[in-house]
Amino acid sequence: MDVAETISHHILDHDWGVTLGGFRIPVTTHSVTIFAVSILLLLTLSWAARKHTSRGGKLVSVLVEEYVSFIRGGIVIPNMGKEGYGMLPYFCTLFLFILSVNLAGMIPEMKTATSNISVTAALALCSGALIVFSGLKYHGFVGFLKGFVPSGTPAWLVPLLFPLEVISLVIKVCVLAIRLFANMLSGHMVLICLLLIIFIVGEMSKAAGVGALVPAMALEIFMTCLELLVAFLQAYVFTLLTAIFAGSVIHTH
Amino acid sequence: MENLLKPDFGVLLLTVCNFLLLVFLLKKFAWGPILGALEKREAQIESDKQTAADARKSAEELKKELDERLAQISNEAAQKMAAAVKAGETQKEQLLAQAKEQAERLLSQATQQIEAEKNKALADVRSEIASISMLAASRVVEQDLQADNADKIVAQVLEEVQKK
Repeated sequence: MDVAETISHHILDHDWGVTLGGFRIPVTTHSVTIFAVSILLLLTLSWAARKHTSRGGKLVSVLVEEYVSFIRGGIVIPNMGKEGYGMLPYFCTLFLFILSVNLAGMIPEMKTATSNISVTAALALCSGALIVFSGLKYHGFVGFLKGFVPSGTPAWLVPLLFPLEVISLVIKVCVLAIRLFANMLSGHMVLICLLLIIFIVGEMSKAAGVGALVPAMALEIFMTCLELLVAFLQAYVFTLLTAIFAGSVIHTH
Repeated sequence: MENLLKPDFGVLLLTVCNFLLLVFLLKKFAWGPILGALEKREAQIESDKQTAADARKSAEELKKELDERLAQISNEAAQKMAAAVKAGETQKEQLLAQAKEQAERLLSQATQQIEAEKNKALADVRSEIASISMLAASRVVEQDLQADNADKIVAQVLEEVQKK
């Protein structure tokens, strides 16, 4: 049994090999998961919005309102101020999207698309674009660039500080992608490794394999609960950090 | 395993397009209406709170006004009560004085009447005594004045007087 191959098979994205006129269409397990999650979110939230505005379905209204209030009052306004109000739809979508994709991996036969660096990089790119857009919108091009240098900095220090600050912003955005990717990937790797323990030990001795079943499954359940927590936590962290970075660009030194 | 960190630009581009399209569609069909309704309701709540605050303020002003009026009425009532008590006291004293004067007058009248009655009685007694004396004297004159007869005559005169 090749453990590395099994883990890779479980974790890695699989291309479905769809081409159109010799041009590759990126239909993969992860992109299909993302598409399915997007459709589900779109249908569910449109239905919830319709229920909400027509004053029907009280529970749905309360849930949706609480969620929007949480994103607005807990993440966007405290970090971005009133300027972040117009970007609420982005943050509302971002949190739910990441959470849903994270949780999709808990459903059998579905994959955690956020354990794919391309997916998290795409989300980080969107957040990076939002951060830059916020800076340009509220300060203009020159003002945005000036914002990289704290006021009162000696002139001779500016050429050193400016590139550092630009690189710092790029790194911040890259770290967003890597943090989400690493957290979701590691969780799933641990889960598959715990399951593989049973088979590895079972290959050595069937009795030992049966003996390893109970502790491995107990750990598996524990890790699954932890993964649920991590799914929420990472969605929150990604959204919060995006808001903080965008806020720091809007409200400069 | 090395493929883990190898980016798939196709998936990356598809995810960006998918996510931005989702943001756009959700903004149009979900977050827009929800946020609109939420803001509307919050504005309504704020307006209701303002109305309630205004109502509370006017109620407090009314209460203050009523309290002042109540204090004024209480003050007036206390003044009127004091005046009434004073008037009552005056009236009581007047009545007592009148009663006393009347009693004194009645007492004086009674005393005068008693005095007159007493005087009249004394006069009656005097005239009676005089007539008795006259009667006794006449009897005495009519008979011999003997020591033994004198007591008898007096007893007889007294008997006659009693009979009268």
